[in-house]
Amino acid sequence: MILDNAKILIGDDSILARKQLKDIILGYGEPIFYEASNGQDAVDIYKKEKPDLVFLDIVMPVKDGNAATREIMEYDSDAEIVIVSSVGTQSQLKAAIEAGAKDFIQKPLNADLILHVIYTRFEGR
Amino acid sequence: MYAQFFGNYLLSRKVITSEQLILAMKQKSIDHMKLGTLAIHAGYMTANEVDQIVIQQTHQDKRFGELAVKEGYLTQSQVTALVKDQGPDFLLLGQVFVDQGIIDNERLQELIIDYQSENELDDYSISEETEENVQHLIENFLIATERPLSPFEVSFLQLLFNNLVRFIGDDFTPIYPYPCNEYPTNYCVSQQIHGEFNIKIYIDMSEETAISFASRYVGETFEEFDEYVQSSVDDFLNLHNGLFNVNISNERSVELLLDPPYTEDNPLLIFNDTETYLLPVVFPFGMINFILEITVPG
Repeated sequence: MILDNAKILIGDDSILARKQLKDIILGYGEPIFYEASNGQDAVDIYKKEKPDLVFLDIVMPVKDGNAATREIMEYDSDAEIVIVSSVGTQSQLKAAIEAGAKDFIQKPLNADLILHVIYTRFEGR
Repeated sequence: MYAQFFGNYLLSRKVITSEQLILAMKQKSIDHMKLGTLAIHAGYMTANEVDQIVIQQTHQDKRFGELAVKEGYLTQSQVTALVKDQGPDFLLLGQVFVDQGIIDNERLQELIIDYQSENELDDYSISEETEENVQHLIENFLIATERPLSPFEVSFLQLLFNNLVRFIGDDFTPIYPYPCNEYPTNYCVSQQIHGEFNIKIYIDMSEETAISFASRYVGETFEEFDEYVQSSVDDFLNLHNGLFNVNISNERSVELLLDPPYTEDNPLLIFNDTETYLLPVVFPFGMINFILEITVPG
């Protein structure tokens, strides 16, 4: 399957949101998941594990998703980061793209959009 | 709540005639929901499986739920949940048409799926009935606040109603809001919105109510008050407030900021310097209390 053995990091303070995202992704293979419940943990895990794809929420304790994106991009400018948030305002979208995010998905989660993100990045892998 | 709309839907699809609809609406008021219809609606059983159990019932003097559990179509906890939650009103109307032989269970299953997918899209805009409920709520809030509501407050209340309908269900009744100086908490989560409009929203409910709330929100049956149930309550609040910020940004070009949700550990909340209102909302599975702590500018 397309995602077998891929490394995917999910940063979201909601354990439910992380589970829902994992459940959708598991339909396309069996990747190695890493989970973070705040932006700082996401940055730390990224530096240690170098995942192939990162999903980050914006509103998180300790460090928000946009700040975490900036820090990850400074460390690795090739990082593939997708923001998944309920706060899809134009300014947040702009901030996410400026920080280096490659995509923005508005919550509630839509399996088709997640699939699109996965195929865009993993097709032909 | 949506029985009238489902009736119109069936008429427009020429599934039934207007005479059949009127008769069914009368019959609906005296009928009870059948477990098989509820199981189809919940997606636990297919129409074929329900028909098989109904056939078995003609040979054995056993309850539908008992046979469905025996065949492995339902778990005992699903039966309990289905019996407890009698499902949306429109479903009973559909069941009447099955009982009268106008449609079969398979056709009902197709119509439920089509109707719900169309209805889900409608929920993004305000239905007439929700609009009416929101107007009532706003009028009641005017009585509680004794001042005109700001456009932010009106938008907030409208969206709260829509999100309850969209994510939890339409079978709720809001109780009159009233000013609140202190509040003893159960499971309580709060979230602060900052900016041109400052409001802290609390959502509070008993653990038992939270289990049912989470089951509806996620679409899975939860049995105990675990971290997923707690996270569902946080998630609903965060999603609602996030969507509110998006609406305000789109409609008014005002950017509001959102703090992460916070689980209140204080058994008693005390509100001294803010305008605070308690808005109880009653669902069949329990009461949800929303507390709106508003900082009025100036």
